[in-house]
Amino acid sequence: MTIAIVLLAVVVGAYLVAVLERWSVHGQFSLSGPAVSALALLGRESLLARTPDRLFFEAGPILLLVAGLLGAAVIPLAPGLIITDLATGALFLNAALAYVLVALIMAGWGPNGAYGLIGGWRFLGQFIAYAMLIVMPITAVAMRAESLMNTQIVLSQTQLWNIAYQPLGFVLFVVAAMGLAWLPPLDLPSAPGDLAGGVEAEYTGVRLGILRLARMVIILVMASATVTFYLGGWLGPVLPAWAWSAIKTLIVAALMLFGGRYVPRVREARYLAISWKLGISLSLANILLVGVIALVVPI
Amino acid sequence: MIGARQGALSGFRRLIAGAMARDLCVFALPGIDVARARGIDLRAANLRLTITPRHASVLLFLGSLPKRLEDAAVVAYAQMPRPRAIVFLGAGDLPDGLHADVIGELSQAGLINALDELTKIISEGAFAAQVQEFDAPALQTRIEYTCPMHPEVVSDHEGNCPKCGMNLVPREISAGTAHAAHATPEQEPAMPPKSPPQATANHDHSKHTSAEATAKYTCPMHPEVVSDEPGSCPKCGMFLEEVKGEADHEGHDHHHDHSKHTSAEAAAKYTCPMHPEVVSDEPGSCPKCGMFLEEVKGEAEHEGHEHHHDHSKHASAETAAKYTCPMHPEVVSDEPGSCPKCGMFLEEVKGEAKHEGHDHSGNDHSAHQGHDAHASGASADGIEPQFMSMIELTEGQPVSPDGLIMEWIDVPFGPFFPGLPGGLGLDMSLDGDSVAKVSAHSLVSAGELLAEGATPPEKFVERLAAMSPLSPVSYRQLACLALESAAKQEVASSDATARAAAVERERIASHLGWLANLGAQTGFAMLERRATNLELTIRDANMDHIAALDPEIASLLARLRKSHMLRDKLSGTGHIDHCSATSGPVARASGKDDDARSDDATYIGLGFATVTGSGGDAAARLEQRLAEIEQSCELIAKAEHLSLPEPAKIGAASGEGEAVVETPRGAARLTLTLTDGMVTAADIGTPTAAHFTLIEAITQHAEIADALIAVGSLDLSPWEMRP
Amino acid sequence: MTLQVIFLAFFGIAAVWFGVVVFRTHSMVRSALALLFSQTAIGAMFLVMQAEFLGVLQIMMMATEMSVMAIFMVMFMMDPGGMGAMDMTHQKRLSLRAGAVGLVAALAVIWLPDWGPIAATVPSAGEQIKLLGFELLGRSMFIFESAGLTILTAMVAATMVAIAPQSETANKGARDGA
Repeated sequence: MTIAIVLLAVVVGAYLVAVLERWSVHGQFSLSGPAVSALALLGRESLLARTPDRLFFEAGPILLLVAGLLGAAVIPLAPGLIITDLATGALFLNAALAYVLVALIMAGWGPNGAYGLIGGWRFLGQFIAYAMLIVMPITAVAMRAESLMNTQIVLSQTQLWNIAYQPLGFVLFVVAAMGLAWLPPLDLPSAPGDLAGGVEAEYTGVRLGILRLARMVIILVMASATVTFYLGGWLGPVLPAWAWSAIKTLIVAALMLFGGRYVPRVREARYLAISWKLGISLSLANILLVGVIALVVPI
Repeated sequence: MIGARQGALSGFRRLIAGAMARDLCVFALPGIDVARARGIDLRAANLRLTITPRHASVLLFLGSLPKRLEDAAVVAYAQMPRPRAIVFLGAGDLPDGLHADVIGELSQAGLINALDELTKIISEGAFAAQVQEFDAPALQTRIEYTCPMHPEVVSDHEGNCPKCGMNLVPREISAGTAHAAHATPEQEPAMPPKSPPQATANHDHSKHTSAEATAKYTCPMHPEVVSDEPGSCPKCGMFLEEVKGEADHEGHDHHHDHSKHTSAEAAAKYTCPMHPEVVSDEPGSCPKCGMFLEEVKGEAEHEGHEHHHDHSKHASAETAAKYTCPMHPEVVSDEPGSCPKCGMFLEEVKGEAKHEGHDHSGNDHSAHQGHDAHASGASADGIEPQFMSMIELTEGQPVSPDGLIMEWIDVPFGPFFPGLPGGLGLDMSLDGDSVAKVSAHSLVSAGELLAEGATPPEKFVERLAAMSPLSPVSYRQLACLALESAAKQEVASSDATARAAAVERERIASHLGWLANLGAQTGFAMLERRATNLELTIRDANMDHIAALDPEIASLLARLRKSHMLRDKLSGTGHIDHCSATSGPVARASGKDDDARSDDATYIGLGFATVTGSGGDAAARLEQRLAEIEQSCELIAKAEHLSLPEPAKIGAASGEGEAVVETPRGAARLTLTLTDGMVTAADIGTPTAAHFTLIEAITQHAEIADALIAVGSLDLSPWEMRP
Repeated sequence: MTLQVIFLAFFGIAAVWFGVVVFRTHSMVRSALALLFSQTAIGAMFLVMQAEFLGVLQIMMMATEMSVMAIFMVMFMMDPGGMGAMDMTHQKRLSLRAGAVGLVAALAVIWLPDWGPIAATVPSAGEQIKLLGFELLGRSMFIFESAGLTILTAMVAATMVAIAPQSETANKGARDGA
C-alpha cells in the first residue's frame, strides 16, 4: 500500500516537474502540456541509430529511470510514508544516483553518434565535480542526525532546519544536485547550444519519452532529497505532513529549474575547476564546522 | 499527410493524433536567425523549437533554400520520426523529393494560418494505412574507403593506402554530394591496390598448402628446439611457439638471381615489444628488459609482379623499417601511426623486405602467398608476451594542449546546428572534446551578383538585398550608394541621414539577433527571449517606436554588463589580435580603429566617433556590440527621419562606381560598372569573407563549447560568402 | 532462508556471468560496464547476506570506479564505437595459470579455516554501521588512515605525472618557436 502511494506521488510529482520544466524552457505554462507531449511521443516512430550499440541504446533510458525510482524509494514523504527506511538510506540514495552516470554513459555511447558520445563522456568527466559535493554535505547532515536513516535525518531537524544549521552544505548540495540532474546552467551532457541535445540527440518516440520521464524523476528525487536533508522534510505547522513535503519539493524543483534561465551555461573546465578546488575544500570545511557545532551546541 | 505513420487511424491512435496536432515541435530551415530577420516569431505562434530534427514533428521552410542546402534539408527531413509534416512559407520550390503539407505566406500571419491548417491535417492524417518509404538521392550512401593517415586518399575498393600502405577504412558517405567531389581524376584509385593476399591471389596456388605445412614450432627459451608440431619443449616444458618465415622456397628457383630475395624471405627477426631497437635473428629475451622477443613476420608482399628485371626497389625496400599493429599483425605501414582497426600505436618492425617489382619468370611465387596468409593468421592463438604500455601506445601521437592523447573523431556541425548561423557548416576533428582541426564552409553562399548579364539598377538593388537576408538594408544601401557614385549623382543630405538611420536600425536589430543567438548557444534563456522580442520589434519600428524601446534596450544592456557568469563564459575565448584582417565590431573589439562610417560625411554630421574596445576576445566583442547598440540608438535619435534606401533614377548614365558601407558585421565594399543605365559588372567584398579565415585560428585546441562560442562571436553571415 | 539462498545464487551466477562477458565482448566500453555489473551483483549478494552497509557501498563505489575506468580505456585504447572488434584476452597462458592459482587459493581459504559457529542472529543494519564505525575509528584506525593517506599520495603523484609532460611540451614548443 505504501509502495503504491509513494509511486503515485512520484508519478504526480514527475508530472508537475514536467509542467515546470516546460514552463522554464519553452515559456508555456500548461497543465495539460506534458500529457499531450507524452501522448505525441508515444505515437512517433522510435528510430534506431544506424549502427548502434543496441543493448546500451535500449538500456540507457531504462537504467536512468530505475536509478531515479530507487532513489525515490528511500525518501520519506511523511512519517511512515516511505518505501523502505533503510538504515543506510542516505548512502543508498548516493548509490542509486551513481547509476545516473552509468545510464548516461550508456545512452551517450549507444547511438554511436558524436554528440551523444561527447555528452556522455562529459558527464563522466564532471562526475567528481558533483559527486563529492553530494556525498560530503550528506556526511555533515548525517553527523548531525547521528544516523544515515532518512527519517532520522528529518526528525533531527525538528528544532532547526539544516538550511540554517549548515547553510554552506545546503548551497553545495543544491549546486551538485543541479549538476547531477544536468539542469541549466550545468546541462553540459545535453547542452542544446553546443551538442544539439547530446545524450538525448538520437532518441525519438517512446525511447525519448522514457528518457524524459526518467529525467523528471531524477529532478524530483534531487528536489525531495534537498527537502529531506535541509528543509525539514515533512515538518511544518498546520498542513498535513505529506502536503509540506509536496510544497517544499515543488518549490525547490521550481527554483532549480528556473535558476538556469538567468545565467549562461557554465564552461566545463570552469565548472570542474571550481568544484574541485573550491567545492571540495568548502565541503570539507562544512564537515568540520558542523562537527564543531554538533559537539559544542546541542540543538 | 505525406509523412504519415503506418497504421489505421482509430481508437487510441485518434487520441494520439489529436495530441500530435497540439504538440508541434518545429525545426526551422535555414535557421532561427533567418526567421527573426524575416520578422517571424515562432514562439508567439505557440510552437516549440527543437534543437535536432530527431525531436521535431514539423519541418518549417522559411522561403526556398539555396541549392547547396537542399540536400541537407532532405537529410534533416529523413531524420525526423514519422508522422512528420512540412510547412513551406513563401514563394519558391521545395528541394526535390519533399512535398509541403501546407504552404503559406512568409509572414507571422501566414505562419499562424498555415499552422491552423496543419493542425487539421495532422489530427486527421497522422496515421495512414498506406505509407510510402521516403527516399531521395541525397540519402543514398555508399561505402568508400579512406586512409586514416591520408584523408585525401579515397577509394571505392578495399585496399591499402598508396602512400603509407595502411589498410583503408570504410566510411559511409552520402552518395549525392561527396561522390562528385571524390571522383576527380587525381583521387581515383589509379594506384595499384596493395591488397591482402586473398585479393591478389589469382595465381596458381598449387604449392600454397605445402608452404603452409612448413610452419615450425620452437621453444622461446631454447631456440635449438625445433619441431614440426605444436607441443612443449623437451628441455623446459614451455609451449613451443610458432615460427613464421621459414617457408621453403623451392618455387623460386628461376633463372634469375634470387639471393637477396631468399635472404629477405628467411629474415624472420625477433624484436622486443618495449625496445624496438633490440632486434635479433634468434628468439630469446630482451637484453634490456628481459621480455620475450616477439617475432616479426617477414611479410613478403608480391604485388604487382610485373615481370621487369628491376631489383632497385627490392634493395631499397630491404632496409625500410615497417610498422605493425600489436593487435592486428596484418596491418603493416611504412610510417608510424595508429592502426586503422583498433587505433593502437603501430610498433616498429625491422628486417622486412618488400618485393615489389620482383622478377619472376613464372607464377611460382605461391610459396609467398601461403607464407603471407600464415603470418596474418598466426598470432590469433599465440601468446602475446607484451604488456600494453600506455606510454608505448600513445607515443608519437599528436598531443593536444591538455596533454592527453585520444582518438580523433570527425564531427560535422551545421548547416542547421543550433547555436551556429543557419547555413554555416563546420567540419571538426575532435580530440576528445577539444578541436584539433576545423574546416568551415558556407552552404548558402551568394551566387553571381549579376545572374543574367546586364541588370537594371532596381533589380540589382533588390537582388543584393535578397542575397543577404540577415542584413538586407545595409546591402540595399551599399547598392544604392555604388549606383549613385557610378552615375555621379548626389543625394540630399536629409535623405542620406534618413537612410543612415535605417542602416543603424538594422545594426541594432542585427546585434540584438546576435545576442539572441548567444543566448541560445549558451542556454541563457532570459537573454534569448528578451533579445528576440526586441529584435522582432525593432526591425520595422519607426522613429518614435525606437525611442520608446530605448529604456528596454538599456535595461537589457545593463543586465548583460552586470552578468559575471556571461563574462566568465566569454572571456579568453576566440582571441584575435588587432593585426588580423578583420573589420566591423570584431576589429573594433580588438582595439582597431576601423569603421567605414568615420569617413562618411553623413555620419560626421551626426557626430559619429568610432567606439573601440580592447581585449579582442569574445567578451570584448560582446562589450563592443553592446556599445554599438547604444551608439546606434543615439545616432537614430539625432537623425530625425528614417527611410529605407531606394535607388535613385539613374537614367542612361554610364560609369564606374564604388561604395563602402559599414554593415553590422563590418565594411562591405562594392564596385560596379554602369553601361547605359544597366549594371554590367559588379564585384563585392564582404566582412564575412575575411572573418571566415579566422575560424581555424580561434578554434584551435579549444574545448568544443568554447570553439562554438568563438565562432559565434564573429557573427558570421554565411550568406555573404562567395562560392 | 531458502529465498535468501536462491537470491544469493542468482546474484552469484550473475556476477560470474558478467565476469565472463568482460572477456567475451569485443567492445571496450561493454567490457568495462560488464565488470561494473559483475561488481554490482556482488554488492547485491552483500545485501542478500544482510550486510547492508557493505552492499550499498560496493554498489555505489563500483558504479563510479568502473565508469572512470571505462573512460580511461576508451581514451587510451581508442576503440571508436566498439567497432574495432578487439580481443579482450591477452597473455592467455599466464592468465590461465594465475586464474588457477587464484581459484585454488580462494577454495583453500573457504574450506581450510575454522569459521566458527553460524551466527544465529544478524545485528541490525543500524547496529552494523555503528560497529563498523567503532572498528574504523578504533582497532583498524591506523590501517585505514595509512591506506587513505597512501591513496591520496598516489592520486597526487599520478596527477603530477600527468601534468609534467605538459610543461615539457610547453617548453619544447617555446624552444621550437624560438
